[in-house]
Amino acid sequence: MLKLVSEIWRRRELLWILVGRNLKLRYKHSVLGFFWSLLSPLLLILIYATFAAILKFNVGRPNYLQFLVIGIVIWQFLSMCLNDSLNTILGSANLVKKTAFPRIILPLSMVLANLANFLLTWIVLFLYLLFSGMHFQHIEFLAVVLLAQTALCLGLALFLSTCNVFFRDTEHILGVGTLAWFFMTPIFYPLKDQLAFLPDRLEWLAFFNPMTGVMWGYRTVLMADKIPDVSVPLWFPSISAAVCFVVLGIGLVVFQKLQSRFGDEL
Amino acid sequence: MSEHPVIEVDHVSKHYRLTGGARSLKAMALEMLRRKTSGVKILRALDDVSFSVFPGETLGIIGSNGAGKSTLLSLLTGTIQPTGGKIQTRGQMSSLLELGAGFHPDLSGRENVFLYGAIMGLSRKQMQERFDAIVAFAGLQEFIDQPVKHYSSGMYVRLGFAVAVEVDPQILLIDEVLAVGDSAFQKKCLDKMQEFRTQHKTMLIISHDLQTIQKVSDRILLLDQGKIIGLGEPEAMVETYGGLNRKRHAEIFQREWGTGRVRITGVEFQNGDGIETDKFMWGGALNAIVHYRAEERIEQPVFGFSIADNHGRVVHGSNTQIEGLSIPFVEGEGAVRLHLNDLPMAQGHYLFSFSSHSEDHKENYHRMDNCFPIVIECSKEFEGYAYMPSSWSIES
Repeated sequence: MLKLVSEIWRRRELLWILVGRNLKLRYKHSVLGFFWSLLSPLLLILIYATFAAILKFNVGRPNYLQFLVIGIVIWQFLSMCLNDSLNTILGSANLVKKTAFPRIILPLSMVLANLANFLLTWIVLFLYLLFSGMHFQHIEFLAVVLLAQTALCLGLALFLSTCNVFFRDTEHILGVGTLAWFFMTPIFYPLKDQLAFLPDRLEWLAFFNPMTGVMWGYRTVLMADKIPDVSVPLWFPSISAAVCFVVLGIGLVVFQKLQSRFGDEL
Repeated sequence: MSEHPVIEVDHVSKHYRLTGGARSLKAMALEMLRRKTSGVKILRALDDVSFSVFPGETLGIIGSNGAGKSTLLSLLTGTIQPTGGKIQTRGQMSSLLELGAGFHPDLSGRENVFLYGAIMGLSRKQMQERFDAIVAFAGLQEFIDQPVKHYSSGMYVRLGFAVAVEVDPQILLIDEVLAVGDSAFQKKCLDKMQEFRTQHKTMLIISHDLQTIQKVSDRILLLDQGKIIGLGEPEAMVETYGGLNRKRHAEIFQREWGTGRVRITGVEFQNGDGIETDKFMWGGALNAIVHYRAEERIEQPVFGFSIADNHGRVVHGSNTQIEGLSIPFVEGEGAVRLHLNDLPMAQGHYLFSFSSHSEDHKENYHRMDNCFPIVIECSKEFEGYAYMPSSWSIES
C-alpha cells in the first residue's frame, strides 16, 4: 500500500498531465470551455427553481430548492465518475498497450479531474446558498465528507474500469444500477421519508448506502439549522464513511490484482 | 561483455487462451459450459525463451509474422505480463512499439510531447530542456501547437520517433519502425541509431529489413513460432532465417494426391559417395532411392520425378517409361533408384517431385509434388538455372 502511494508520488508529473488532459478534453471544441463548469450548475439551479415553482413539488417544505440543488450537485460528482470510469482503461487502450506506467494513474487522474470540476461548481453553489440566506456550520467537516465521497468515487472507478475491460456488460448494468441508486438515496426526498420505512431501532441500516451519509454530511454543513430534515446521531453517517473507505479498499485490491492483464484483454 | 546484462529473459513464456470474439457474460457462460466437452485452445506466442542483452549491445530480432517478436518487446516494455518465467531489466527504457503510440489526437504536438515524457518518467523541467531538440529533430517547428489529428502520417511518425529517442533512454526498443517515413527521415533514424551505438546504449530492434538489421546489429535473435531458433552472428542468423523461409515457401507448392494403390513411402537422397544428404554439388551425382508399397499386385507401374526451382517452375522431369525401364509388376514393399549424374542446375534451392502412375497415365497412384527440397551448390558461374555444356574457340 505504501509502495503504491510512493510509486504514484514518483509519477506525479504524469498524474497532473493526465488530470489536465482530462479537463482539457472535456471542453474541447467548446467556445465557452471552462466556463461550462460554472455555467452548468447555474443553469441547473435555474431549471429546478423554475419547475419547482411551476409544479409546486416543494409544498410544505421550507428551503426545499436549496436542499434539492445540493443533492443534485453532489450526486453529479459521483455519477460523472461512474460514467467516465467505463472508458478510463478502454479509452486509453493505446497507452495501456504500448507504454508502461502504473495503471492506477488512469482512474486516479479521471477522479481528480472530476473532483476539480466538482470544486468549481461549488463556487456557484456557495454563492447561491449564501444569496438565498443559508449559513454554514462546522465548515471544516466538509473536508471529511469530501474525502469520503472521493474515496467512494475512486473505489468504484477502480472497480468499474477493471470490470469493463473484461466484461463490456458493465456499461449496461451501470446504467440501471445508477438509476436505482439515485432513487434509493435521499436526493429529492428528505431522509426522514426514507427512515419512515425502517423500524426506529434499525434506522442506521439506511446509512449502509454510503451516499445517504454523504448527502447528510453536505446538507448538515451547508444548510445548518435550516435543513428541512430530521437529525440523526453522528455514528449513523460514520457507517457511510466507513463503507466509502471499504469500497476504496476493494477497488484497489481488484484493480491491482487484474491490471497486469489489461494489456492482454485490450 | 563481462558486465552484467541489462536485460535478462529467463525461461519466459506467453500463452494466450483463444476465445472467439468479444467477451460478454453470455460468451463467458457458454464458454464455461463448453469447457467440459472441449479443451480451450492455447496459443504459445512465446515458449520458454531465455537470453541476455549486455550494455551497449544492439540486438536485432528477426522472424516471420507471428514468431513472437512483438510479444517479446511488449513483455520487455511491461505492457503485458509473462505467463511463466522472469524478465529483469536495468536502466531506463524507451520503447517504440508503435511510433506516436499514446498520442491523443485532440491534443497539440507540444502537449503530447510532454505527456510522452511524463509516461517515460521525465520531469517537466527535463522535458523543457529537450523540447527544442525534439521539435527540431522532427522538423515540426510550425506545427507543434496544432492538434496532432491535423498532422500527416509522416509528421506523426516523425514526432513519435523524435520524442522517443530524445528522452535519452539507456535502453531503446524499436519495433519495425525503420520502414516508415520517407527516405530522408529513414536516414535520420539510422544516423540516430548509429549515434546510440557509439554512445554505448543498448538497443533491441525488430525489423523485416534484413539488410539493415544485419548491418546495425551486434547479434541477432531468430524467433520462430514462439521459440528461439538461434542467437548469434548477424550474418549466420540471417542465413538461417533465409533457409527457414525457403522451407516455408516450398511448403506452399507441396501437394500430395493419387489413388494410393502404389504409395511412395519415402525418398532417400544420396550424393555421389553414397552419403545421405540434401546438399549437392553442381556437376556431382545425385541418387534418389524411392521406396514404395503396393497393397495389391500392380502391373507395369511407372515411376517419375521432376525438379522445380523454388518458385515452382519445372527445370526437368522424366520417368521410368521415358528412360526405358520396364517394371513388370510391383507388390508389397520395394524401391527404385534414380541416378542423376553431372547435375547441371545453378546454385539454389530446388524441389523434387516423385510420382507413381499407370502405364497409360490414366491412373495416378501417388504423386508427391514439390515435397522434397534440396540445395545445389555451384562453383561455376553461369546464367540461367541450368548449365549447358559449352565451349568457345577462337575463329581463325
